[in-house]
Amino acid sequence: MAKKSKARAQTLSPRQQSPRKSLTPRRWRLKLVIGGVVLAVALGVGGLVRFLQQRDLAPHLQGVGDKHYTQGTAGAAVVIKEFSDYT
Amino acid sequence: MQRFEGQVQLVLYPFALNPTSEVATQAAWCAGEQGKFWEFHHMLYRRQELWNSLAAPLERLVDFAKDLNLDTAALKSCVESGRMRDRMQADKAYGQQLQVSSTPTLFINDNPDNRVVGTRSEGELVRLIRQELNRVRPQGQ
Repeated sequence: MAKKSKARAQTLSPRQQSPRKSLTPRRWRLKLVIGGVVLAVALGVGGLVRFLQQRDLAPHLQGVGDKHYTQGTAGAAVVIKEFSDYT
Repeated sequence: MQRFEGQVQLVLYPFALNPTSEVATQAAWCAGEQGKFWEFHHMLYRRQELWNSLAAPLERLVDFAKDLNLDTAALKSCVESGRMRDRMQADKAYGQQLQVSSTPTLFINDNPDNRVVGTRSEGELVRLIRQELNRVRPQGQ
């Protein structure tokens, strides 16, 4: 009996192990997909925040220019706005 | 600036970070009313160590104004009247909108990516200006 059961165990084990073997890569694949999605969302949110900040900054920058002391030529190709403190 | 004559314009936004600097900023604009803004501006930097640690620097700045042949009584009364205060606060608010938190901060051609923070060597500024000139006016055009 002992021999028989051993033999059965030997014949069964490959069948039992094979689904386990295929589960492991599937789990990894799932983890990779989730990780990829999380990374993509994080990059997307970061990019969006940066875009919104810059979109907000650009009109602000263009708006002001009067009543300020300037040096150089008006309408020059390069305009530099300098914020400086005297102390 | 002289090196890039006709190609570059500098627009100055005094960004007062403390009460002493606020007085100096207003004094510079008051000197501007007498047509000597830039002279006063440069003098503030040249003699910085003589006034920038004073809590109430106006008297010292008025003394400096004598050297520029400014009407010192008019300058003093201009600062004390506070009529430049709104202008100063407006520039400060504008800088804060642009997230300026330290000086000097430069913006080149209204491009937020072209923000230069901190003191840079003349060579680096020249390089940045050349780079921008090449961008806006590609060679051959």
